[in-house]
Amino acid sequence: MNESLETSFVKQLTDHQNIVHKICRLYTNNEEAHNDLFQEITIQLWKAFPKFRGEAKFSTWAYRVALNTAITLYRKNTRTVATVDFEKASYFIKQEDYNPEEEEQLKLMYQAIHQLNDIEKALIFMYLEDKDYSEISETLGISEVNARVKMNRIKGKLKKILNP
Amino acid sequence: MMNELDLLKKDWNKQTKPFPQLQESDIAAMIHKRSSSIVKWILIISILEVTLWTAISLFFNTDEVMVKNHTEYMIPYFKIITYVNYAVVAAFIYAFYVNYKNISTLRSTKKLMQDILKTRRTVKYYVWYNLIMIGLSAIAGFVLAFVANPQMQKISHNPKAMVITIIILVIFLLAFFGIAALFYYLIYGTLMKRLFRNYNELKKIDL
Repeated sequence: MNESLETSFVKQLTDHQNIVHKICRLYTNNEEAHNDLFQEITIQLWKAFPKFRGEAKFSTWAYRVALNTAITLYRKNTRTVATVDFEKASYFIKQEDYNPEEEEQLKLMYQAIHQLNDIEKALIFMYLEDKDYSEISETLGISEVNARVKMNRIKGKLKKILNP
Repeated sequence: MMNELDLLKKDWNKQTKPFPQLQESDIAAMIHKRSSSIVKWILIISILEVTLWTAISLFFNTDEVMVKNHTEYMIPYFKIITYVNYAVVAAFIYAFYVNYKNISTLRSTKKLMQDILKTRRTVKYYVWYNLIMIGLSAIAGFVLAFVANPQMQKISHNPKAMVITIIILVIFLLAFFGIAALFYYLIYGTLMKRLFRNYNELKKIDL
């Protein structure tokens, strides 16, 4: 492959690596699996990169490839009980606005999300990333109305998990 | 609930800090590593399958058997069948190639899954085609043997020996198909389980 293409890809992905990290955190339960999925997504992004012509934002383009890899192509799946490390979950709070009650709520939210299935995780991910329903429907290949309905159901499901 | 989701969203967008940041050199090294995606595994297994079935048909020399059985007059017919078979195999290989080229992570998740499943289906048809051809060849061989082979003709006069021969043949064929089915169930079952589950979930949403 072209040297400058590689340099440009590596630079852009390094800048946007948090997108991939976020997806890995949703779809895996431990560090090893996280790194594994990160690598597979990187390979798939690199394979698809020649078709990225900068019409879309790098991040928008990367969402699709990364989600597709996590949901469809990723094979290794340590099907352990879906729990998030408590230690890790508390990472999510910034020290300066520390609020024990909020932290507890967040911890439970992250655990609840880990109990969703792969497709539901994708919907929640895009919701958290502030994607609109037209982009969600296009990425997953379902209708916009159905994406909306499904999102409401997921909210209901999360509620049920949090308040059984 | 809405409050919790809002809280989560707020936190989600702040979480840039905790991820251990990779350097450009780490990512540059990663892109040269090997993929372990299921598409790659399906491709590898498909190539092995095509090679296996082609090898079996190459090693199976029907001409020799027919000369031995004094059914040389059948050779031209078998030649035609062989050429037709090659054409069919070539068409399958072309279909694999087109299918794999069409698999792209840039499509929607549902479309991508459909493309992978379509590829898998082509391989499945190919395997069925081969199994059916093997079954038909076995039956044709059996019939020819009865017509031409003097030893078999002796058996056909003895009902008991005849029944035993047929039973053995049927058991042999069933065992062969059984092992093949188990093999595919194990290989593709484990490989595709998660894909099927997610695909069904997506289909369910769109009902």
